[in-house]
Amino acid sequence: MKEFSESKLEILLDTALKPARYTGGEMNAVIKPFDQADVSFAFCFPDSYEVGMSHLGIKILYHIINKQPWALCERVYMPWPDMADALRRENLSLFSIESRTPIRKFDILGFTLQYEMCYTNILEVLDLSDIPLHSCDRTQDDPIVMAGGPCAYNPEPLAPFIDVFQIGDGEEMMLDAIDCVRKCKAEGKSRLDTLRALAGIEGIYVPAFYEAAYHEDGTLKSFTPIDQAASPIVRKRIVKDLDKADYPDSFIVPYTEAIQDRSVLEIMRGCTKGCRFCQAGMLYRPVRERSLETLLKQADQLVNSTGYEEISLSSLSSGDYSQLTELCCELTQRYADKKVSLSLPSMRLDSVVKQSLEELQKVRKAGLTLAPEAGTQRLRDVINKGVTEDDLVRAVTDAFQSGWSTVKLYFMIGLPTETDEDLAGIGHVAKTVMNCYFTVPKGMRARGLRVTASASTFVPKPFTPFQWQPQDTLPQIREKQAKLKDILYAIKGVNFNWHDPELSMLEACFARGDRRMADVLEAAWKNGCRMDGWTEFFNYEGWTKAFADCNVDPAFYANRQRGEDELLPWDFIDAGVTRAFLWREWQRAQRAEVTPDCRKGCQGCGLQRFEGVCRK
Amino acid sequence: MKMLVVFEKFPRIRHIGHLDLMRAMQRALRRSGLPVKFSQGFNPHLLLTFAAPLSVGMAGKREIMEVPLGSDVTEAEFLEKINAALPPELPCLSARIVDDKHPASMASLYAAAYEIAIDSEAEALRNAIPSFLAQESIIALRKTKSGEKMVDIRPMIFELKASGDNTIRCTLALSEAATCKPDLLMDALCAHAGLAARPRTIITRLQMYGKDLIPLEML
Repeated sequence: MKEFSESKLEILLDTALKPARYTGGEMNAVIKPFDQADVSFAFCFPDSYEVGMSHLGIKILYHIINKQPWALCERVYMPWPDMADALRRENLSLFSIESRTPIRKFDILGFTLQYEMCYTNILEVLDLSDIPLHSCDRTQDDPIVMAGGPCAYNPEPLAPFIDVFQIGDGEEMMLDAIDCVRKCKAEGKSRLDTLRALAGIEGIYVPAFYEAAYHEDGTLKSFTPIDQAASPIVRKRIVKDLDKADYPDSFIVPYTEAIQDRSVLEIMRGCTKGCRFCQAGMLYRPVRERSLETLLKQADQLVNSTGYEEISLSSLSSGDYSQLTELCCELTQRYADKKVSLSLPSMRLDSVVKQSLEELQKVRKAGLTLAPEAGTQRLRDVINKGVTEDDLVRAVTDAFQSGWSTVKLYFMIGLPTETDEDLAGIGHVAKTVMNCYFTVPKGMRARGLRVTASASTFVPKPFTPFQWQPQDTLPQIREKQAKLKDILYAIKGVNFNWHDPELSMLEACFARGDRRMADVLEAAWKNGCRMDGWTEFFNYEGWTKAFADCNVDPAFYANRQRGEDELLPWDFIDAGVTRAFLWREWQRAQRAEVTPDCRKGCQGCGLQRFEGVCRK
Repeated sequence: MKMLVVFEKFPRIRHIGHLDLMRAMQRALRRSGLPVKFSQGFNPHLLLTFAAPLSVGMAGKREIMEVPLGSDVTEAEFLEKINAALPPELPCLSARIVDDKHPASMASLYAAAYEIAIDSEAEALRNAIPSFLAQESIIALRKTKSGEKMVDIRPMIFELKASGDNTIRCTLALSEAATCKPDLLMDALCAHAGLAARPRTIITRLQMYGKDLIPLEML
């Protein structure tokens, strides 16, 4: 058994890279006596401290759990590899940041699943904590291992490692879950009975209670409950009234700089634009806004409790927030004296941005990020990104006139139906943006134009209209990247970024993987794979060997066209949007037919089946 | 007016670097609601100066910073508000109102006292101190940004003694003209004691001084 010793840890910290990641003691961290809590929860973001500290979801749930007098929540992150190795060498257990308690001693260990490429880190964290990797090997003394977040909508590649998945909005479900564990603990229930009790909560999925069978061709044959407590369909949880949902009145302020080191206001959840590649747009439906009044109150609390210099407005599409201009004006006015600036990510090109931009500019000017996603109108229509070149021209011209000079453009390559013309279109868009800059008279524009075009590789995701579609193969992706390089390098003044195609391929395997991908994951971790999202640690050989050892073909998951009737590994989850709606959207996509924002008329996505959550 | 503030950096957060510590203080001052001042310009920042940066890995018992204020605040009010806004590992111990023209602490700095907790070989090091100090000059290799340099640190050692079984206390020069960091002293002392490797240490800066070893905050 691994031990924990404060003095041994202190010695390791002396030589660790960025030891401040592990020291804790930050402002607003919640310190409670560990032994007095009925339920203790170790919340893990399975990536580095700097990344994990930036995540809003954990801040919300940390606040909600710690608000209960009977519960305690502490944080844990994936140690940087130097520290992970040091802990292993010294036989020290991974520990929580707040009280430095070994993770094994908590009642619950919860992971947030934000992206697939952190899955090896989950195994690493379990191993560093001396918790058996497999759910079936855990005993009464081990924590219950939970997971939630967007990747939990296809939980299958993690099925053997996670005891309990939470699907959907966490605010209410988390309370139900920890209250259930508390009661089971008080009643002295066995681990199995506790899992059964948890399975009765709406939104909760206990993978051990289901069995998957496969056809000879490898596709899923059946997926059935094998325990009385398990329901054949797991329906996602939805917070009906976001305005009343609990939101932290303070954030932990890290000493060392996190990636997102600022106050965040979640102005709304969900998006109704219906971009067909966008999983978040489908998963977080329906759209729910927070009221201006609530947001201003929350802003006040955060500004006063954190001392942050910046407030960021968070949502999937901030331009769609109905009172955006009022909110921006009010916030910039209120905090001008305190020199608190405002930032507005996730703006769509078609939103009326000019006034908001002008408000932003009063305090500080960061780069402007725009996501046309595709190079031609045809392909933008296929993906239902309802923006036109006119929208783009207007938005960037406004920005250049308001003093911006740095623009980042996000594109995807490998979208369904893509042709060479669409790749050429990306060059055309970049050129158009540059021309917009030069049409603004010299005295009126800021100096130093910088345009960056970034092309990520499309990864088809569950619960999107493209969930049946193949991802481009590695050679196809490389060829397209090479073509794009030629096109963009020819335009003076444009920087071009692209992603590792291998990483996108693995992401695709996990995004739509089934339980057999769990074997590959475990094998890869045993081959030394971890921190796969970090270029310096990404070990592709470890992965190819894992696929070969497990006799699994990545192309089956990444590059295969699924049939209309194929049973998909995530079909047992009711994510709100129906399969029929998604298929209909795929048909429209092939005809490059745009589906309007459902605020202008219901498109029948399936959310109406949830009582009282969707505005008609 | 400006406030001359003495604060403590606990050992638990000794790995926090100077820039991070400064940002933490700036944010605490923002939280406190005190009438802080901002720099002019496009990206205004909160005005705050430290007497001397504390190295990563070092704790500090009586660190000093100066906070320019836009309107009058009593010392008691300042302490109450700033401490309400600081984490327990970073408390302010005292505050004194000084005139805007009061010379910057940084410029008056002359020396600092340190306590060095030693993990092993403490006895050998303790025993080596008298003969170490008896040397007329102690040449040490100082690594700087521009390269390595041989310096005589003997005149920069004002005090060096065992303060416990496993601790050494020293007072060393710390000024623009001459600085001897405790790490440099330890390297030299270990070499003098004939130790092959330097034992692990935890260093705490106890106090900073001006000329004639008057505590800096009293100047």
